[in-house]
Amino acid sequence: MNELAQVLKLTLHEKRDVALAIVFGVLAGLASVALLASSGYLISKAALTGQMTVLIVIGACLKLFGLGSAVSRYSERLFSHRATFTMLGNLRVSFFEKLSPLAPELYSKYRSGDLLARIIGDVESLQNFLLRVFYPPIVLLLVFSGTILFTMYFSVYTAILLAVGYLLTAIVVPAYFAWRKRRRNWKTRESRGALSAEAAEFLYGFRDLKIYRQLAGKEQQLARLAESYNEEQRSEGKEEVYSQSANGFIALLVSLAILASGAYFTAAVELDGLFLAMLVMISLGVFENVAPMAAFPAHFEESRKAAVRLESVVGEKPREKGIDELPEGSLSISAKNVGYVFPGEQRPALEDITIDLPPGSKTAIVGPSGSGKSTLLAVLMDILPASSGHVLFNGISSEEFPQESIWQRLNVVLQENHFFQGTLRSNLQIADPSATDEQLASAMEKVELGGFSLEMDVEEKGQNLSGGEKQRLAIARAILKKGEVWMLDEPVSSVDSKTGQLIYERLFEGQPDKTFIVVSHDLTGLEKMDQIIVLEDGRLIEIGSYNELMRSKGYFYGLKEIEQQVMA
Amino acid sequence: MKDLKQLAFEQKIAITLLTVMSVLKGAAMIGQAVFFVLVADGVFIKGKDFGEITPFLFGLLLAIIVRSAAGYLIGRTGVDMAAAIKRQLRLKLINSFKEDPLLSSAESHSGQKVSLLMDAVDETDGFFSKYIPQLIQSYIIPIMLLAAIVSQNWTTGLIILVTAPFIPVFMAIVGKRTKEKADEKMEQLNRFSGTFLDILQGLTTLRLFGQGKKQKDKIEESSKNFRDSTVDVLKSAFLSSLTLEYISMLSIGIIALEVGLRLVVFDNLSFFSAFLIMILVPDFFTMLKDFGSAFHTARGSVSASQMMDEEFSKERKQVVWGETELAEGKVPHLSLENLHFAYNPQFELRDVSIDIEPYSKIAVIGKSGSGKTTLMHLIAGLLPIKEGSLLIDGKPQEEIEESSWFKQFSYISQSPYLFAGTIRENIAIGADRETSRKEIDEAAEKAGISELISSLPQGYETAVGEGGRGLSGGEKQRIALARAFLKKPTIVLFDEPTTGLDLQTERVLQQSIEELSRYATVITVAHRLHTIRNADSIVFLDDGRVAAAGTHEELAANFEPYRNLLPLPQGGAPR
Ligand SMILES: Nc1ncnc2c1ncn2[C@@H]1O[C@H](COP(=O)(O)OP(=O)(O)OP(=O)(O)O)[C@@H](O)[C@H]1O
Ligand SMILES: Nc1ncnc2c1ncn2[C@@H]1O[C@H](COP(=O)(O)OP(=O)(O)OP(=O)(O)O)[C@@H](O)[C@H]1O
Ligand SMILES: [Mg+2]
Ligand SMILES: [Mg+2]
Repeated sequence: MNELAQVLKLTLHEKRDVALAIVFGVLAGLASVALLASSGYLISKAALTGQMTVLIVIGACLKLFGLGSAVSRYSERLFSHRATFTMLGNLRVSFFEKLSPLAPELYSKYRSGDLLARIIGDVESLQNFLLRVFYPPIVLLLVFSGTILFTMYFSVYTAILLAVGYLLTAIVVPAYFAWRKRRRNWKTRESRGALSAEAAEFLYGFRDLKIYRQLAGKEQQLARLAESYNEEQRSEGKEEVYSQSANGFIALLVSLAILASGAYFTAAVELDGLFLAMLVMISLGVFENVAPMAAFPAHFEESRKAAVRLESVVGEKPREKGIDELPEGSLSISAKNVGYVFPGEQRPALEDITIDLPPGSKTAIVGPSGSGKSTLLAVLMDILPASSGHVLFNGISSEEFPQESIWQRLNVVLQENHFFQGTLRSNLQIADPSATDEQLASAMEKVELGGFSLEMDVEEKGQNLSGGEKQRLAIARAILKKGEVWMLDEPVSSVDSKTGQLIYERLFEGQPDKTFIVVSHDLTGLEKMDQIIVLEDGRLIEIGSYNELMRSKGYFYGLKEIEQQVMA
Repeated sequence: MKDLKQLAFEQKIAITLLTVMSVLKGAAMIGQAVFFVLVADGVFIKGKDFGEITPFLFGLLLAIIVRSAAGYLIGRTGVDMAAAIKRQLRLKLINSFKEDPLLSSAESHSGQKVSLLMDAVDETDGFFSKYIPQLIQSYIIPIMLLAAIVSQNWTTGLIILVTAPFIPVFMAIVGKRTKEKADEKMEQLNRFSGTFLDILQGLTTLRLFGQGKKQKDKIEESSKNFRDSTVDVLKSAFLSSLTLEYISMLSIGIIALEVGLRLVVFDNLSFFSAFLIMILVPDFFTMLKDFGSAFHTARGSVSASQMMDEEFSKERKQVVWGETELAEGKVPHLSLENLHFAYNPQFELRDVSIDIEPYSKIAVIGKSGSGKTTLMHLIAGLLPIKEGSLLIDGKPQEEIEESSWFKQFSYISQSPYLFAGTIRENIAIGADRETSRKEIDEAAEKAGISELISSLPQGYETAVGEGGRGLSGGEKQRIALARAFLKKPTIVLFDEPTTGLDLQTERVLQQSIEELSRYATVITVAHRLHTIRNADSIVFLDDGRVAAAGTHEELAANFEPYRNLLPLPQGGAPR
């Protein structure tokens, strides 16, 4: 039950609704038992006496109980569902809160949208926790207690049998099935995950699969996974039917026992036969309340697993960070002996990097593909934590500041950028929700996207935009943010050189006082940069202005030579 | 798609089994009640001793066993039926995904499609595992119970006949009102989960833009709103079960009173009959109530199946293929004649005519968004041509056999996809034949990625793609390029193959591409002058139209926009 403690806590947030749901649940249960009991009593009494009054009194009781039961049932449903949906909301928020600080690092580890989809499934499946796991046993306990107390007055044996019946149907049988479930360990969730991951891959990789004529093979694989998911579901469904039938069977057996014992004691004149029918009706009625317990094992196991899985994702401790705010004003960034090793890797992606980026400086990072340019940028902007050394903002270690306070000051364009389903406007407004249409349009103009309407639909992941359009949209979004440090990772690699140059010029010339750090493969135009950082294999091998580097005739000079040859 | 009920009734064996078991269950329910009453009547009224009623107890035990067993079998049959039909639906969906042209498949809404395959199909489960068995039972069992009741006391039967029809009537009235709202909610729920997913995927972006906290508030708020409106809908749903519950409770009360009256005042009913009726009547109403709740489940299934229907009936502009096989290993002559294509009114590719000789090198250039990628997709036969034609060795593409065409070429797209799997698997996917280690090595070498691979501890067996080791942008690009070198195609399409690569790597690649072009036609989209200069023909696209075509020298001399697009040094001569 430990795993569910957190969910329980969130559920109990809604104390009032949960309490009301329980109260009404108990009332409804008791009223329906009372209804059957009084009808049983009524006919027995009627069979013996000719008194009209008794009949009328009991008849009135019947109606009262009937109405009471119906109304309580209604209220119970209302409150329990309200509580459930509130809890689900709380759960989402609390999960989001926990996930949020882990975001960039966690994603570099999983990065799969499918993992997220599974997470959502888990959150969603916890909505059954209150309705089907937490509160049926409680309601059942109270209903049975009330009923048992009542029957005790008439027949101790019946009361004892009811108690035994309760133990069997509400505790022993569900516990047994929960145990079976745990032991058999259905792979339904896992096979579901596998199927949805494979389906996502099928769709995302559709073009490549088609071109390489792998569609048929993948389709078969998908069909196989669908099959095995289906089989798991089937066998789990059967288990549930089994548990339901077993529970119902035992409840009927207990009623049989109550009838037998009642008959025995009536025959032995130890029990007034007048109550026999009533007791039988009570037992039939009270066991009707047990039905939800049949689904308990499934939901319990499901909730437990969901909670465990969620915990394993968000259970990781976020990095320890200070809570200082980054001071206003100009921002200098520097790296001191920074190194970075990706989790699970032996070879460092960055080693011993020391650089200085004063306010207003323009820096280019160049180097072969895979040399660590993107990684360096990620460490500088505190998306990845330096494994060794420090990144300093105004001379203070980045560890002292929350990530948000740093990011607030940066305009970032990553190598791959996420766009949200919506419109161009909604995607731009992420940078500045209060931006006016003129501001949005002017940002679009600056990246040569002026021809697009702000209302244009943007599909999932920006798939209906061309490669270069996506890059330019990402720049436009960053323009709207108005931070003082620009960090750009190959922002125009898919844009034609002319437009690319134009955009660069507008960025640099429009805001001379801002700091720029640009990763680029294009060596033209680097003359204008204050410094050029050359990376190779994660190490900084050269640093200096264009002229310095050309003079020293080192690596950069070599690159330039190649460029000349290629161009010539 | 046929509607769900029809799908269910196609499962003849299951339906027969359900019917037989329902009859058995009904009989057992009656038997159970009879034995209950025989026992009570025996000791209470007739004053029999315990020994005399023991046979009834055994009879009761038997009835209980039969009832439970029949119930169990009904449940199992339902589960089996659901499994069989869900299997059909999934296979059908997968097939329909496969048949999509590029236009509506990989490019958009993959999330929704996955959810269709997973959630919508699962949503139909209740229809087959709960609703249908319940439906059959409620056709059979209440009638049996009613017959039993009438046999004891026809007036009770009359009361039931009067009150019971209120249940479906009320349900219909309340249900109709809720239905629309419920469908709307269902859609809202789907949208909401979709947004939540989108938010989670873009969480880094959101935080980078300082929107993390705001999103939290937004989630909180939309959850709250969603809760309130859902509870609204549920209120009316619950109201229908309230009426159901109330009518049944009321009927039980009335019947008890009626039976009591007959017992007391008219004295024309035996205790046996009275008690039997009092056990059977609640059973009767429970059956109806169960049907009511199964009905609610079914409604969810129905809207899920409507969503699937939409997917199945979606109009697909498929790429049409024919029967003529292309000769293997022969480089075909391609010619595009007045091609037209439009995604939507905003962008249109028009009047594209290009002649592509075997073994020629074609470069496609143009501003970002001018339609280069679109053109490549059309040449590849991934998008349906709207007007005009693509002739392959003089034959229209529609007559060519699909797989013989795809066998011929490689296409390295602007954003190639790496599959979850090892590097070897990701390269080997390029050739659909057995490939030796050496071939893969060579392909990696040509793509300039072998050095990196050999530096990895697990080499070619390193897992990449989803859940695997991360790679830099250029590294991913080169792994995808290796696919083309492995395949040895006769036509190669490159969409900006060297984006994000440094010059040195690019030079390695350039050589490999040069080599490839000795055996194949190479069509390249490029932004850099040096990649296109040696092309036999350069096609300049502007806003979906071929603005000019010719060699570098021709264009540089005569075509102003070409000179403007590429950063040529003053004087127009290449640097
Ligand atoms: N998630 C990861 N896990 C392990 N290694 C990684 C991961 N991401 C990148 N790497 C490795 O770290 C090194 C540096 O990668 P990085 O992305 O910084 O290169 P880059 O210089 O930006 O290259 P490119 O120009 O191709 O984008 C590469 O060797 C890459 O394989
Ligand atoms: N799936 C799609 N649905 C709707 N419109 C699309 C889709 N894909 C591309 N477009 C639009 O069609 C136009 C041409 O896109 P295309 O991808 O062919 O451009 P491109 O020349 O390859 O540009 P880039 O150099 O930026 O990659 C663009 O305006 C783009 O927004
Ligand atoms: Mg990079
Ligand atoms: Mg493109």
